[in-house]
Amino acid sequence: MTQTLSEVLHKARAMGVEALDEPSGKNVLKSAGINVPNSVVVKIGDDVAAAVSDLRAPLALKVVATGVVHKSDVGGVKLNIQDAAAAAEAASDLRTAMKAKGIEPDAWLFEEMAPRGAEVVVGGTMDPEFGPMIMVGLGGIFVEVLKDIAFRICPIRERDAYEMLSELKGAAVLKGARGSEPVNIEAIVDVLLRVGGDDGILMRGTSELAEIDINPLIVSKHAAVAVDARFILRKEKVIDVHA
Amino acid sequence: MSTLEEFRPLFHPARIAVVGASTTSVSGGNRFIRNLKNFGYAGTIIPIHPKAEEIEGLRAYQSLADVPGQIDYAYVAVAAATAPGVVRNSGGKVRFAQVMSSGFSEIVGGTDLEADLVAAAREVGTRVIGPNCLGTYSPAARLTFTEKATPEPGSIGVVCQSGGLGIDIIRRGQNRGLRYSGLVTIGNASDLGASELIEYFLEDDKTRTIGLYLESTREGRRLFEVLRRANARKPVVLLKGGRTSQGQRAAASHTGALAGSHSGWEALCRQTGTVLTDTLDDFLDALMATQGMDLRPSATSRVVLFGNGGGTSVLGTDAFDRAGFSVGAFADDTLTKLEALGLPAGSSVANPIDVPAGALQQDEGRVAEKIISTIAASGAADAVVIHVNMTVIMGFRHVDMLGNIIQAVLRVRQEHSPGMHIVLVLRSDGDSETEERKREYRQRATSNGVAVFDELAQAARGLAAIRIVETYRSGATV
Repeated sequence: MTQTLSEVLHKARAMGVEALDEPSGKNVLKSAGINVPNSVVVKIGDDVAAAVSDLRAPLALKVVATGVVHKSDVGGVKLNIQDAAAAAEAASDLRTAMKAKGIEPDAWLFEEMAPRGAEVVVGGTMDPEFGPMIMVGLGGIFVEVLKDIAFRICPIRERDAYEMLSELKGAAVLKGARGSEPVNIEAIVDVLLRVGGDDGILMRGTSELAEIDINPLIVSKHAAVAVDARFILRKEKVIDVHA
Repeated sequence: MSTLEEFRPLFHPARIAVVGASTTSVSGGNRFIRNLKNFGYAGTIIPIHPKAEEIEGLRAYQSLADVPGQIDYAYVAVAAATAPGVVRNSGGKVRFAQVMSSGFSEIVGGTDLEADLVAAAREVGTRVIGPNCLGTYSPAARLTFTEKATPEPGSIGVVCQSGGLGIDIIRRGQNRGLRYSGLVTIGNASDLGASELIEYFLEDDKTRTIGLYLESTREGRRLFEVLRRANARKPVVLLKGGRTSQGQRAAASHTGALAGSHSGWEALCRQTGTVLTDTLDDFLDALMATQGMDLRPSATSRVVLFGNGGGTSVLGTDAFDRAGFSVGAFADDTLTKLEALGLPAGSSVANPIDVPAGALQQDEGRVAEKIISTIAASGAADAVVIHVNMTVIMGFRHVDMLGNIIQAVLRVRQEHSPGMHIVLVLRSDGDSETEERKREYRQRATSNGVAVFDELAQAARGLAAIRIVETYRSGATV
């Protein structure tokens, strides 16, 4: 059953959590029409091999645990799992590793790994003066070292989304610099509009969201897939954009 | 009530009350009254004083509430602590109260007093401007808060968060040839913010360009929506203070500015076709460019430089190249026509066109008109920049060469407008005689709507400002 965005966010805030867990975050993206990898959530103790049988390898395994926002920082991610048996083994290994760190997993998230492509980061913040703002950058050193990022105030229009991308100094990478294949720019624009457009996630979730971070969005020649997403919730209501 | 009617009492007040004029000294209130009188204000000035019967030769009342009839605009310059009381006890007679006093949210512990001032205004139905500002300038109504302001009205409407910078904008601006439809200093912007004034200037027929100096906003969403809705139908130029983290700290103690993000303001400008500037001079240059020129339906990109001075032409070409313009070679037929003008040796008719002053003064400088006309007819330029080294032409006092060039610009512009922008660069050596001549010519050009800049680099920035608005309007993706 699909819940509306505000129901999901409201419920999560009522429970006092600071951030959505990854499966919930992915559901929010999916219900907004953004591609996410096919996945299953497996409860601790359930039969992993049977649960993942419908997914197409290679798979990624990610720990779902309350309070763990940066899964890779705690070693909670395993990649390139080739079959069901390996999936069961990976889950078992990860359980031991998490226990050693004092983390009690709530569940396992198994996902099909996205095809190769350019890594793009799409984010959302709440500006103290302008309210919801959307951000886009290219993954890796472009965002982290060069701070090559473009911002816009929400809601954005299609023209804004295209201009954000052309404003990036690394824009050439998307167009296929150094012999790589050009990626699907329209697919990125589509994600930007679904996040920051008139009826996008940021406009609808303004009173509940503090920050969102889709990192990476993997963009190939054909499509854009949100491989990881964080939704940080507000501690209090501040800005009402519809006032 | 329409926006125009709502703000009429502020920009065209028939009755002005002054709270804070003294019988014994010359306070801000007294100076305001004297400025109004000198400026030729024709309405009624009503001083408010608890005891005096007369101030500055005018009949005084004990309180705003005692004044018979409505008050369009009240100038309030009293100690901060007493300002909310002045507004609260006004009997609801005042449409706009501009509170000059400092000591509100810009200081630690001043936020409550400001909230009380706003509460008082809402109770009695008055709009408060400020506090922590200097006043309003509306030359058409002969309303001013600074001496030496020109009474000549113009087409630029300004919202300025800083009072002192407002004076700079008026005075430095008018000396450059800028003329204003109005300027409001809004200080802490506790009640009336920039967006409502922008809405007024958008509606006001006299205003063609809007200038903003802002340090922060408490109504960012509204500002965004107002500017977005305006769709750049009038050019908007923003001078944003506090764009660095240290500047932001200074702004917090100046106007109680919030800690906003630079990226928010940059985004605002990109999404609304607003021109973002960083210095007062860039701001004034951008206003200069938009003041007189009708925008082209597509973005200005091809520039022709024409003037005297080889080195200046080279540096100018560099400046325009850096600003993203093309200073391209002429097509063969255009070149042939220019060559056919038979300019003397030492001239170069390739772009940039370099013609020595001696050649320019032939036939009373009418050769200039032939050159500009040829370029205009060729359709080869989106903008022509005419630069003149004043020092050199001072040697040709017997002909009004520059006057003839200005006349030529006006004639060509009338014929080809708005196909091609024409701007003038008057380069001076700073010598007092040169400056005097330059001032004269600048005045002649700007009063006819021809933009004048001090150097080619400034002209490049001015045209770049225009290009931002043209690009936005054309719907092209940057």
